[in-house]
Amino acid sequence: MIRNRKRGIALSAVAGASVLAVVLAGCAGGDTSPDAGPAGFDPEGAKGQDITFWVMGGDTPEEARQYLIDQYEEATGGTLTIQQQDWTDALTKLTNQLPDAKNTPDVTEIGNTWSPTFTTAGAFSDLSPIYEDLGGDKLLNSFVEVGEVDGKQYALPYYFGSRYVTYRKDIWSAAGLEVPQTLEEFNSAVASLRTDAQSGFYIGGQDWRNGVSWVFANGGELAEKDGDTWVSTLSDPQTITGLEQFQALFQDASNAPSTEDDSTPWVNINNDKDGAAPSAATIIAPGWAHWSIGDYVGDDDKGNEKREWNDEVFGVFPLPGTTAGEPAPVFAGGSNIAISAKSTKQAGAKELLRIIFSDEYQKLLAKNGLGPANTDFVGELGDDQFAKALVDSALNSKLTPAAPGWAAVEGQKILEEFFGKIAEGGDVKALAEEYDAKIDAIING
Amino acid sequence: MTAMVAERSAERTRETPAPAASTRRRRRFRPAVWLLSALALVLAVAWAFPVYWMVNSSMLSSVTLEAATPTFFPVGGSLKNFERVLTPSFFTALGVSVAVTLLSVAVCLVFAFLASIAISRFRFRGRVSFIVTILLIQMLPAEGLFIAQYKMMSALGLLSNVVGLSILYVAAVVPFTIWMLRGFVVGVPAELEEAAMLDGLSRTQAFLRITLPLLAPGLVASGVFAFLQCWNEFTVALVIMENNRTLPLWLRGFVQQSATQAIDWGQVMAASAIVAIPVIVFFVIVQGRMTSGLVSGAVKG
Amino acid sequence: MTTTVASRPVSPPAGRTPQPRRRNWAPYLLILGAAVVLLLGMGYPVVWQIVTSFQKYGALQQLGGKAPDFVWFDNYIAIVHNGTFWAVTVRSVVFCVVTAAITVVVGVLMALLMTKVPAVVRFVLQIALLLAWAMPVIAAMTVWIWLFDRRRGVVNYLLNLIPGVDVGQFNWIGTTPELFFTVAGIIIVWMSVPFVAFSAYAGLTQVSGEVLEASQLDGAGAWQRFRYVMFPVLKPVIAIVLLLNLIWDLRVFAQITLLQDAGPKSTDYDLLGTYIYKTGVAGFDYGAGAAMSIFVLAITIALSWFYVRSLIKEETS
Repeated sequence: MIRNRKRGIALSAVAGASVLAVVLAGCAGGDTSPDAGPAGFDPEGAKGQDITFWVMGGDTPEEARQYLIDQYEEATGGTLTIQQQDWTDALTKLTNQLPDAKNTPDVTEIGNTWSPTFTTAGAFSDLSPIYEDLGGDKLLNSFVEVGEVDGKQYALPYYFGSRYVTYRKDIWSAAGLEVPQTLEEFNSAVASLRTDAQSGFYIGGQDWRNGVSWVFANGGELAEKDGDTWVSTLSDPQTITGLEQFQALFQDASNAPSTEDDSTPWVNINNDKDGAAPSAATIIAPGWAHWSIGDYVGDDDKGNEKREWNDEVFGVFPLPGTTAGEPAPVFAGGSNIAISAKSTKQAGAKELLRIIFSDEYQKLLAKNGLGPANTDFVGELGDDQFAKALVDSALNSKLTPAAPGWAAVEGQKILEEFFGKIAEGGDVKALAEEYDAKIDAIING
Repeated sequence: MTAMVAERSAERTRETPAPAASTRRRRRFRPAVWLLSALALVLAVAWAFPVYWMVNSSMLSSVTLEAATPTFFPVGGSLKNFERVLTPSFFTALGVSVAVTLLSVAVCLVFAFLASIAISRFRFRGRVSFIVTILLIQMLPAEGLFIAQYKMMSALGLLSNVVGLSILYVAAVVPFTIWMLRGFVVGVPAELEEAAMLDGLSRTQAFLRITLPLLAPGLVASGVFAFLQCWNEFTVALVIMENNRTLPLWLRGFVQQSATQAIDWGQVMAASAIVAIPVIVFFVIVQGRMTSGLVSGAVKG
Repeated sequence: MTTTVASRPVSPPAGRTPQPRRRNWAPYLLILGAAVVLLLGMGYPVVWQIVTSFQKYGALQQLGGKAPDFVWFDNYIAIVHNGTFWAVTVRSVVFCVVTAAITVVVGVLMALLMTKVPAVVRFVLQIALLLAWAMPVIAAMTVWIWLFDRRRGVVNYLLNLIPGVDVGQFNWIGTTPELFFTVAGIIIVWMSVPFVAFSAYAGLTQVSGEVLEASQLDGAGAWQRFRYVMFPVLKPVIAIVLLLNLIWDLRVFAQITLLQDAGPKSTDYDLLGTYIYKTGVAGFDYGAGAAMSIFVLAITIALSWFYVRSLIKEETS
């Protein structure tokens, strides 16, 4: 009797938890998405809607954020709240909150490498009805593609960045070298500059975001769509050529550890505070890095270093491609932007997008060094050497494959591992086959 | 008669916690003690060094910290980092953390204590299953649980809510606390209570006056641990407390990589030092209780 | 009163058997609070974890709300065939056993040390341990990563100061996995010892000073005093802290992930915690992650089987 009672208690506890599980699963996961409302803009419906916009990291400057808040209030009378998410935590938060209608951000910035995964999973609203109004063909194509499924757009470009080479003019000219016109010239130039104390070209072994430029420059791809499925193409001959060049480059020109990836490259090219020689003669870095490069001119009041660019000492150029005069395709930085499918404020969200894609805001982004989604305004980036290098390298840039499972490939750090092993001197062809298999297993989601 | 003997032996157990008492009587320190003290101090330095480094760094500027030669003493340092870090958002986060932690620790200690008594002093149906379940729960990796925890809290409307987070924290810490307390309860034989009961004390009185003081160190150790777990917990808080940040989330904000702003490590260290202070305060308060609990037992007897 | 004594059946010291015919509600009431809060806080997540391990649950299910399909044991079978998972598991088991053992030994020795030094010294040591214990993990890891940093780290700086030694900018965490895990082990031992030391010390305070003195007068040496007087009292405490350290060190996640962020990211440097996160969460395969978690649970039970079995025997006898 007591035994049955105890079992009864235990059983009902398990049953209760299971029922709770099923009920909650039904509640939280299986909601039918709210009616998306009229397919296009709905200014009337947007009136008074308070919405939340998630930005990733600190890339969107304060000026731009304030502009959005003011403009949104003017357009709809509602309040726009901008919340900044740290890149490292963003995945967890997006995964939890996008499907939760009560707590989803209405509009969110989304990294371009995550866009395909989130889009194919159905996290975002269909933006194709307003695509033309927001800029249509003028929006950066490669970014539009990663947010597209079956010809419909779900995530549109927000801003783009790019990466280019910064070099020490003083060291290069002392060695009698000039700005290289082809990738081959670059490879041999930096190899010749390398000493025990200084890298000719600083690149970490696991730094695939920069290393992939050599693959792209040789016409290789990370993955391609074969009919309906994506296939990893690390073993393609052109990709192999690029990887072998990377391997040679790492071994001949770089003193960086084979286990390092692409953080803080600028510390390597600056003289340190006391004027000691830099640890590298050349680096490749995203566009915004130039703010941290230069001669040391004291500390600011926050205790951070102040660096002032010195044209005699430093210079920039886009990584040259295999043919003279053409920059190599590099991996573009930047993000897309999308509306959450579960948001109950679709109208307000669309108004915000209208503001973001307006001429004024695009110009604002460009003025602040962020490549505008609308390529018409690329000129607003300026015409100094940095803007030029940014634009030149960006226009030819590529993104990671728009495959549904690509976010998983990145999450598992497969490419870091792959490039690291190549840098350590492994057999490129064998490794390429091994990692093709690993990527193929998850690239289609 | 038996009660008095029992009480006196219990008294003695409380009164002489360690052989240190014997050195007290002898009044001169043998060379071994000097050697051991030196060893203890070396270990103390080794363990405290990273903490010292944190405090040291919190008083230096980012530039100094990035230099190739480490700076061992904060000469020319300042408290500017602390000033910059003590913003209103800190005090809000502090309030949330204090509320969540105190609530969780209090509830956890009470539930765990009662449960540990039950499983150590009573035999009942389901006792072994309960004990094994408690053990097994602690073994499950928590990495994938946050999705389910989020869904549950969202459905219950307890997101960004002190009570919601506390429920999860208590559930997380209770198994371990029961486990620890069980060890301590087992270490205090039931005979002491029984002897006191023979003398006319009720079961509860015997428990309160004989057993509980002996359990004090165990309660304190578990309490400190539970406090630390809750105070420093980050992963679950990140998922649940979207709008109502706890201190670890606030601290995390300083470590955000941004394209336009380098991480200010001096501020990170200052913020970390501030987050660690309440725990130390808690221990200092509680450390007194622990020894006084032992002493008062002797006096009462 | 004498009747109660007489009618009490013989039982082990830890138990007081209730009368067979009178149902004793007291214990159920006592565990009620803990049981309820556990069901509430852990019930749904654990059940979800188990159910999901039998499903194909990825981005489409989580973000798109598609109902997950049951694939039953496919996830588990995939794990069995996953060579990397086994490599990571072996590595994790070795790591956790070594680290937990060192932690417990050092902690107990420290507790003994604490009983033998004057009160002032003991206080200093305890404060130092507490400070180390109180440090938030993010702060502690940042400091340790700085200490081992190849460019500005104190370790390299001090080593280079030793005449004849020149390690240059030695990369402690990015050179080989063995070195990486040695560093990780040092950090985790540093973090875990305070808890063991305090618990063991609390246990030692329950050792009867009288018995110790008596045994000393009887001619028992230090080791014998430890073995026959102190150890029996310490045994339950040591068993608990050893078990807990084994469990935690097997599951360790934050420290390894922060070390990886500062250095190498390949799976050669993964332990189970980070591997499950990478494949399950960052890899958008929650079903596989859940199955792996259940697997780890099974491994942990296997590791601690000696303890679990003796516990069940002890409790049911």
